Parts: sequence; C-alpha cells; structure tokens
Amino acid sequence: MTLTAYLGFALALFGIGLYGLLQRRSLVAMLIAVELMLAAVSVNVIALTRLQGRSAGMGQVVVLVLVGVAAAETAIALSLFVAIQRAAHNIDVEKLSELKR
Amino acid sequence: MSAPVTAALLAQAAPLAACLIVLLALRGRPRAAAGVAILALSVATLATGYLVAVVAAPAVHQVAQAMWLPLQTGPGLAFGVLLDPLATVMAFVVAAITLLVMIYSLGYMAGDPGFARYFGFLALFGWAMLGLVLASNLLQTLVFWELVGLASFLLIGFWFERPAAAAAARKAFIMTRVGDVGFLFGVLLLVRSQGNLTIPDLLAAVPGMSPGFLTLVAALLLMGVIGKSAQGPLFTWLPDAMEGPTPVSALLHSATMVAAGVFLVARLHELFMAAPAVMHVLLWMSIVTALASATMAMVAEDIKRVLAYSSISQLAYMLMALAAGSVTGGFFHLVTHAGFKALLFMAAGILIHRAHTNDMRAISAAGGVPRAGAIGLFAGSLALSGIIPFSGYFSKEAVLATLGGHAGTAALALAYLGAGLTAYYAFRMVFLVTRGPSEASGAPHGPEAHAAGGETAMAAPVLILSALTLLLGWIGAWLAARLEPGVPWRGALEIGAGPATALALAAGGIALAWFEYGAANAPRVSLVERVSWLRDFFANNWYVDRLYAATFVRAATALSRAARWNDRTVLDGAGDGVAAGTVGGGRALAWFQSGYVQMYVAVGVSALAALALWITS
Amino acid sequence: MTVTGMVSAASAGVALLGALGAVGFRNIFHNILCFALAMLGVAGVFLGLGADFVAVVFVLVYVGAVAIAMVYAVMLSQPLDQAPAPRRIGKIAAAVVIAATFALALWRVMRGAWWPGLGWGPAQGAAEVGRHFLTDYVLAFELVSVLLVVAMMGAVMVARRTTEGGGRW
Repeated sequence: MTLTAYLGFALALFGIGLYGLLQRRSLVAMLIAVELMLAAVSVNVIALTRLQGRSAGMGQVVVLVLVGVAAAETAIALSLFVAIQRAAHNIDVEKLSELKR
Repeated sequence: MSAPVTAALLAQAAPLAACLIVLLALRGRPRAAAGVAILALSVATLATGYLVAVVAAPAVHQVAQAMWLPLQTGPGLAFGVLLDPLATVMAFVVAAITLLVMIYSLGYMAGDPGFARYFGFLALFGWAMLGLVLASNLLQTLVFWELVGLASFLLIGFWFERPAAAAAARKAFIMTRVGDVGFLFGVLLLVRSQGNLTIPDLLAAVPGMSPGFLTLVAALLLMGVIGKSAQGPLFTWLPDAMEGPTPVSALLHSATMVAAGVFLVARLHELFMAAPAVMHVLLWMSIVTALASATMAMVAEDIKRVLAYSSISQLAYMLMALAAGSVTGGFFHLVTHAGFKALLFMAAGILIHRAHTNDMRAISAAGGVPRAGAIGLFAGSLALSGIIPFSGYFSKEAVLATLGGHAGTAALALAYLGAGLTAYYAFRMVFLVTRGPSEASGAPHGPEAHAAGGETAMAAPVLILSALTLLLGWIGAWLAARLEPGVPWRGALEIGAGPATALALAAGGIALAWFEYGAANAPRVSLVERVSWLRDFFANNWYVDRLYAATFVRAATALSRAARWNDRTVLDGAGDGVAAGTVGGGRALAWFQSGYVQMYVAVGVSALAALALWITS
Repeated sequence: MTVTGMVSAASAGVALLGALGAVGFRNIFHNILCFALAMLGVAGVFLGLGADFVAVVFVLVYVGAVAIAMVYAVMLSQPLDQAPAPRRIGKIAAAVVIAATFALALWRVMRGAWWPGLGWGPAQGAAEVGRHFLTDYVLAFELVSVLLVVAMMGAVMVARRTTEGGGRW
C-alpha cells in the first residue's frame, strides 16, 4: 500500500477512537477508545520510519516503548476504575463530574 | 462695633442659641426648654426695644456687614445688619409678639409630648424672622426668607401624626415655594446686574436701572410676596395652615411670617414704586383678595379659619396702601394688625382649649366663656372692625386715606365695602361664639387637668394685647415721622367724610351681625348662608383649590407617577437586567467548568482542530 | 498489488471493523472482543510493514493481557445488572462531528507536511530491534522496566480494599 493509505488508515483508526472517547459513558469503554488511538499512533510511526530507510528499527523501538507505557497506564487505569466503583458505585462519566462528594 | 449693631446681633443670637440648646440638649426637659426660649426672647425684646429707642430717623441708618463667603467670580455672600426705623420697629414687634406667644404657649401646650420641640421650633422661627427683618442685603434676606418658610413647615406640621397637619404643612411649603421661585429669580437678576449691594445702596441705584428691567424684577419679587403673604392665586395654604397649634397661628400666620411679604415691599419700596405697572397689578390683586377672603370668612364655621381669612384680607389692605404709595400707611396697619390678630387668635385659643373643638357652634354650645377670652375677642374684633378708639381704626383710616389720595374712586369704594364686610364677619364670629343657646353659664368648667397656672399663662398675654389695642392707635404720627419724614401725615382724630363713612359701614356690619346672630331669638343663619350655592362657593375657597387639584396637582401627580415608573422599570430594570445578564453570562460560562471530562476533551479537540484548519487554510 | 500489500489491506479492513465494533456495541464484552479483533488487525498491518517483532508484541500485550485485564475490571466495576443507559442522539451527533472535524484537520496537516525520500527502506527485524535496545536506547529500555514495576505496585495499592470499606472519592 502506499504511504498515504497507511496514513489514512491510521487517521481513520484515530478518528474512531476519538469518537468513542467522546461518546461512551463507561470508563472502560473510554479506555478502549484511548488504546485504539494509541494503536493508530503506532501505525503512523512504523509507516513513517520505514520510509526513511535506516530508521525503521528506531520506529519499532519507539512503538515498543509506547506499548510498555500503554500497558502500565492500562493497569493503573483499571485499578482506578475498581476504586471508583467502590467509592461512587458507578463508573458512568456523566455522573462523575464533581471532585468532591 | 457700635452699641446698636451689638444689640442687633444679640437680638438674633439669643433665639438661635436657645433653638440649638433646646433642640440638641433639652428635648427631655420641657420646663427647662420653655425657660431657655422665653429667656432668649426676652433678651431679644429688650435688645430690639433699645434699637427702636436709638434708631430714630431714616438718616440714622447703619449698615454693618461682614463677608462670609467671598467668591472668585461674582459677588460673595455677606451677612450683616441694617438698622433703620422700619427694620427696628418691625424687629421689636416680632420679638415682642414671639415672647407673648411663648408665654401663652406655656398654658396652651401644657402636657403636650412635644413641648420642648415646640419651643425649640419657636426659637428657630424667632431667629429666622429677626434675621430676615434685620438683613442687610438681598441674598441674606433670601436665606432667612427660606428659613422662615422652614420654621412654618415645622410648626404647621407640629402634630405630624395627624395626616391633615402633615398635608397642610406640605401644602404651605410647596405653595410658598412656587412664589419663592420668582423671588429667587428676582434676587438673582438684581445681584447679577448690580452685585450684592446692601439694601440702601441698591435702592440708591434704582434710578439708574432701565424701566423694563425694574418691571421684571419687581414682578418676580412680587411672586415671592404673593406666596409668603397668601395673596392672589397662592392664598389657599393659609386656611389649611390652621392645622397647627393656635399659638403658632397667632405668631406666624397672622402677625409676623405672613407679614414678611408686606415688610419686603416696604423695605424695597423705592424699587417697587419705580415699576408702576407692577404696583397697579398689586393694587387690584389686593382689592380682589381682600373682598374674596372677606366673603370666605363670612360663611366659615371654624373659628380659626375665620381669622385666617381675615388675615389674608387685612394683608391685602396693607399691600393696597403700599401699592398706592404710602409706606407708613401699610406698615402702620401691619403693626396694629400684628397686635389685634395675635390677640384674636390667642383669645380664640382660650375658647378652643376649653371646648376642645374649633367649631364655633360647638364652642357656643359648650358655654362658659372665660372672661379673658371674651375680653380678648371683643377688643380684637373691635380693633379689626376699625371702631374708634381702637388701634385698627387709626391704621385702617391711614390705608383708606392713601387709597383716596392716589388710587381712584373705584378702588376706594371697594375698599370701603371690604371694611364693612370685615366688621360683619368679625362680629358674626363673636356673636356665634358668645351668644346663643348653651348648656352652662358662668364660671368655665372643663377637665381639671388644666393647671391654674396654665389659665394665667394664657390670660396674661391676651389681657396685655387687649390693653394695647387701645394704645397702639396713637403711634401713627410717631411712625410717620420716623419712616417718611417730610411726608405730611393727617392727624389721627380728624374725622372727615372718609372716616365717617368707614365708621358707618362698620356699624352697619355689626348691626347686621347682631340681627342675624346676636339678638335673643336670632336665627343664627346669615342671608348668605341661606343661598346654598353661594355659601358653598365661599366655603370652598371659591373653588380655587379644586381648580389647582384638577390642573397642577393632577399634572404633578401624573409626572411623578411617570417618574416612578421610569425609576422602577427603566432604571431599576436596567440595573436588574445588567445583574441578570451578568449572572446568566456567568452561568453560561460555568457550563464549561462542568467537571465533565468528555466536554473538556471535546472542547480541547475542537480548538485544536480549528487551529489546525486555520493554519493549513 | 503485492502479497504484503494485500495482507496489509485486509488487516487494515479487519482493524477498522473491529474498531467500529469496539466503540459501537452496547455490551461492554462485545466492545472488548472487538477491541481484541482490532488489535489483531493492527498486528497484521505491522506484518505488512515488515515490523514482525512489534506485531507479535502487540498480540501478546493487547490481546493477551490488556483485553483480559479489561474483562476482569469490568467484572469488578461495571454494574452489569443494570440496563445500559439510553443513547442520546445529540451526544452521538456531536461526537461524530467533532471527531470528523479533527480528522479532517489532521489530514490537511499531513498533506501539507514535508516527506523527504519517498522510497521504502529495508525492513529491520527483531535482531536490529534488540541491538537498538541494548546499545542506543538502553536507558529507555530500563526506564520502561522501572515504569512497569511501579505501575504494578501502584495498581495493587489503588485497588486495595481499605478497612473502612467505602473510601473517599
């Protein structure tokens, strides 16, 4: 595929993820959307660094670091969701709009 | 400072000090308040008496003035005293009558909860009136003119819990204000063209002013006179002002304050005489006023209203004489009128105090007229009717003689008619009150709450003034020599055709009153009262009040309603609208601070997208 | 089109379908499963781009770990007995509009960007990646390890049940 197609695919994936971030009420669904966006970014990085020739490896390194960070963030986020559920008895983002109860 | 100037300042300072002390420190101590006020007015009476003795001729006038508020542009405000026979005699009359009224009030106002406040206000009035009389320049006169109006307002509305009294005080103030606007403009025109001269210097400059200017200024000043002295179109406040305590009516609304207008014309006589058109208007306005108010007195049922209308009528006589050219004639009548009108009011007050009503028929029904009251009533009415040898005869003759000499036959005839009516209504009042069926006779009865001292306090001034009505008539020549030396003065006891006519008319009026009210089986209803539309016309102030209510009052009320609507809807609405808008705006902005994460993301992403689109466009 | 091209295209399609399902379905488990499918698709795209190691790591981490962890979290937190909240058309429309606008803006940025050297370079495999990690990017490697340890400890602490039970929010 051409570079434009790869970039377009990544953009579409990002857009879908953004839609999900804005529209879903459940925190877990929002987290899924965020992961989609990160995946789109990864595709962008791999495609663009492949174009440069000698830096394809660097691109993969970047993506691997990103995956590691995303995994850590997912772990913390999920445990936060559990704690929120315990405190507020729901994980609906529309109801969780005040810092202080 | 010379002795007379010191005396003049003392005469003003004493009542002022009394007023301040009483109103600030002695509100809770009525007897001390009365004592302080009476003491101050005694000092003032002595001081002004000294001045009368010392300042004996117009050439001996003194002016002492001190600049109080110098201004960079235009004349400054100066305060001082002007001492000449006119001012000093008037000042003495004011001080003496104020003192007598204060003594009288010890009895009349005894037990009133506002006793101390009353004496404070009387002292205020005393200061203001003396200041007006002794003022050395027109701006100072204006200041004290307004102060006198304030004192009148405070005293008419003294029993302020009564709506009628409050309304009467307001009406008096507003009506005199209407006249005062003209007065203010007149004074300002003079000051602007001549600077703030002392009054003698101003009068000396009169020949140099243009006739048109003088006519304008005289007309404007006359407006103030009309308002203050309840003449012409602005008379209706005076009958209503009878809502105040009777001593207040005796002092302000018969003898002194309303006479301030007459005094002003006498003071500025050279200026007024230089505007003959204005004087002509004044003459005829006074004649109409005199007759009209006499008709209103003829049908009044309230004894104070009779006396109020009578004051209006007699003030008109004074102004007639001044308009016809005689300062002595007008001022002589002012002095005698002060004596016998205050007497009449105080005598009436004795009766009112006993019977607790102003209605003459009710007073008559209550019976038992005290001797001092009866003496006062008779003496005052005889003086008012112009019966020889009472004081009113001599002064009224002076007025009529002036009219005969300078005003033409029609004016004179109408003035004579008015004199006859005066005698009629005066004795109608006397006979209504003292004759007729009553329940008791002999010694006065009534609630024993009146202290014996109170009766004496009320009787003494009445008896003093009754005696004065026999004496005051003889000062005519003395006054003429002081006020207008060089102008011939007809002797008091020359009884020619004029005085004889007047006496005959007066006797006729008294006789008519006797037949209608005084005789044993008199019907106690007059011919006029039988004609009901005529009676109503006279009793309702010739419907002048209704005319004003339908025109000016309605217009003013509509204007103030519009202003209130504007204030509430437009101005308050604008303010509230701004507030509501701010709150609404705040709420709208607060929507962005919702704590709602998806909103934050949406806004941030949108902003970024907009920026990117703009950059790449 | 070459084989790799076809692989990439097919995987991209799968990934997009999975993404649509991940944000579209109302049942959260369906979302998670579609998410896993989307990640498989993305891994296929990586294979088409010659980044095999990354593709394998993606599958291992996302499908094998993240999705499973999400299932556990959903079990522990989502009120599954309640009916799902009704969808609001306004919110959907707004989200679509904003996402589309942003995508359009990004597209225009990318079109205007400068892409030097328009030829594909050689693919580099796991050996190259390993060499990079142990020489040029060893600091990043170590830091990610530390980060993962810290995250594990943090996750345990945050989700720990305190003695009061409810806890403060």
